[in-house]
Amino acid sequence: MVDAKTTIAARAGRELKDGQIINLGIGLPTLIANFVPEGVDVIIQTENGAIGVGPAPEPGCEDRDRANAGNQPITLIPGGSYFDSATSFAMIRGGHTDATFLGTLQVDEKGNIANWIVPGKMLAGMGGAMDLVTGAKTVYIVSEHCAKDGSSKLMTQCTFPLTGAEECDVIITERALLRRYPDKGFVLEEVAVGYTLDDIAACTDMAYRVAADVRLDAFGE
Amino acid sequence: MPKNKVVPIEEAMSHVESGMSIAVGGFIGQGDPLTLIDYLKTMDVKDLTIYENDGGYRHRGTVELALQGKIKKIVASHVGTTPDYARLMHEGKIEVEATPQGTLAEMLRCGGAGLGGFLTPTGVGTVAEQGKQVIELDGRRYILVPAVKCDIAIVRAHAGDTWGNLIYRGTSRNFNVPAAMNAHFTIAEVENLYTLGELDPNAIHTSGIFVNAVVRANVEYCTIREEKFNG
Repeated sequence: MVDAKTTIAARAGRELKDGQIINLGIGLPTLIANFVPEGVDVIIQTENGAIGVGPAPEPGCEDRDRANAGNQPITLIPGGSYFDSATSFAMIRGGHTDATFLGTLQVDEKGNIANWIVPGKMLAGMGGAMDLVTGAKTVYIVSEHCAKDGSSKLMTQCTFPLTGAEECDVIITERALLRRYPDKGFVLEEVAVGYTLDDIAACTDMAYRVAADVRLDAFGE
Repeated sequence: MPKNKVVPIEEAMSHVESGMSIAVGGFIGQGDPLTLIDYLKTMDVKDLTIYENDGGYRHRGTVELALQGKIKKIVASHVGTTPDYARLMHEGKIEVEATPQGTLAEMLRCGGAGLGGFLTPTGVGTVAEQGKQVIELDGRRYILVPAVKCDIAIVRAHAGDTWGNLIYRGTSRNFNVPAAMNAHFTIAEVENLYTLGELDPNAIHTSGIFVNAVVRANVEYCTIREEKFNG
């Protein structure tokens, strides 16, 4: 049994295109690096100040000055480099980053994203997420379809404070893939193994269209 | 001959007074100026305002000053790696102002670069707009963010010379660069100290023009001690 996070990361990996510059959020999105398709080369940027992030170092070769934004030890591939935070966000905000993959608490039918604060809960902060959703050319939300209480994360309208307004381009969950088009809003294009169109309708609050050529059993086990 | 700015830590830190604003370099422990933060722990100061990406990592960093009651407010992109900051905020003992990471870096950079502020698309349509002017230019909306100019900056570099030219290592460069250029008085702790001319002029990340005092970092916070910097 493959868990939801692996299913999501594997499907997200198939979105990657050769030569893309990408930024992966902390947690689930980091797993996408394990699912880069054969023959596809992507360059990974980490907002704390490195581009060309390679595999994790061998045990014993970790270096306190070489880590990602989640403080995990990293290596650089040949051609990689380091830079300061103002430069890093020039890369992100300035439209030089092709895609960002982020988790979320909520995403709504207008493409609004709320992933940085739950009102009344302990504050963490938005980190670089607001800049990433604003500046990356394509914004992927990679997240479980429902919250722990079973409610849909794909909402009519976000109720938590927003990270970005109308910024989400693609939603990938363990159950479905939805892509947003300027004229149509979100379109259900793929349904994962084990789910039907009715299943998706039952766990999705946001309005969406079903693509004429929607693919069933498109990913997952 | 550029001035020798290497001073005892007590002399460098004597510029810090209660009520001041301090820009702090580092990123969840990567390049955090722990030697200078340790010294601040021994000082009788309070009501500090901190501009920093985060509060440190776990129990190390400016969070230690917050627990001592020395900090009034922190402006940070997140305090998720230092839960004590969030707890102190919930208890009403400290103010935490969450600011997008790129916006915070640019606030510091602009303050050091003599700019009054900047226009960013980040946070349009979110709470980041609150209390700020939104300006439309060529059909796109931007938030007008005022620059910040701090009284003091504390940073950590891998290598520095006696004038305060600094070189960082790996991802420890981060907020150290915008923080170092930001403040009225910048104090750098360096892991490896060099005489003038020993550092490659092509490799300097922070010019000594931005640095007012240089101190040696505590050995325990040094990643690599070496005689010659080789990247």
